[in-house]
Amino acid sequence: MTAWIVVVIAGLATFGMRFVFIGLFGEIAVPAWLERGLRYIAPSVLAAITLPAIVAPGGALNVASPFLPAAIIGGLAAWRTKSIGVSIVVGLGTLWILRWLF
Amino acid sequence: MESQQKSLWLDGVRTISPILVGVIPFGLIFGVTASASDVPMLAAWASSFVVFAGASQLAIVEVLGNGGAAAVAILTAVVINARHMMYSADMGRYAVDEPLSVKMSIAYLLTDQAYLVSSHRFPDPVERTGFTSFYLGGALTLWIAWQISTTAGFVLGTAIPASLSLEFAIPLVFLALLVLAVKDKPGIIAAVVGGAVAVTGVGMPYSLGLLIGALAGVAAGITSERWFA
Repeated sequence: MTAWIVVVIAGLATFGMRFVFIGLFGEIAVPAWLERGLRYIAPSVLAAITLPAIVAPGGALNVASPFLPAAIIGGLAAWRTKSIGVSIVVGLGTLWILRWLF
Repeated sequence: MESQQKSLWLDGVRTISPILVGVIPFGLIFGVTASASDVPMLAAWASSFVVFAGASQLAIVEVLGNGGAAAVAILTAVVINARHMMYSADMGRYAVDEPLSVKMSIAYLLTDQAYLVSSHRFPDPVERTGFTSFYLGGALTLWIAWQISTTAGFVLGTAIPASLSLEFAIPLVFLALLVLAVKDKPGIIAAVVGGAVAVTGVGMPYSLGLLIGALAGVAAGITSERWFA
């Protein structure tokens, strides 16, 4: 039930954010503070999701896990190719190879 | 006129098609990882058409799957999807002559990919004739690809052994998005602070560390602007 509530509210909020300036075009403009903050939301929230999942998989700090090198190599692949698909393949591939080796 | 609109539709479909190569694996991964998590499968599957925004759908599964609070899951999704307001502001200039129902369709189907492709094709809102046909052709194609690939992921999900650690694809997706999102020095500061604060807050209840990290990162990015000006 909780999951359904989350999905429905997140869906309504997301639609609202997609619709707000299309629906009210000409009546309201994007406020300057919002435009400024939005620029840093993506890097900040993405790092806040990614870093704990990589250095603390399962909820406890552990930098010796194969996740860290696999993520670094996956991240480099994303940087070089600009492709999410390539990054998944390279990162997961590295993880499987490291597990097979050690 | 009729045939011209049809060809613009098809043009939108054609233009977005190469991008599907990146979207379909992402959709499959979402379905597979969500079906392996503790989040009720039907609700996670429904998010594909209720929310229809991949990164936020993954984040909801990540937060709820780790026992995070509902409010944190919702706020995280809202923060991740906030960038759509920028796209909305831009698309509003193109949709200004359309009836409400078309405006609502454009908004519902708004994604990074549909926005980028159509604003590239129609750089100037003054010349917006045919925009809606082109946009809807591309955006609807992406929607269909997302529904099919995420559903396929849920169907395949249970057949994939846990030892493959496919859930690791979630941070990999976010990491790739992060690498693509960092464009300048304040952006790097925002990412470093956001990530570091979130790691410090790993033990916090309800996955609150994530939200505090995200807000600290935004504040750090804005503050650091003056250092690099």
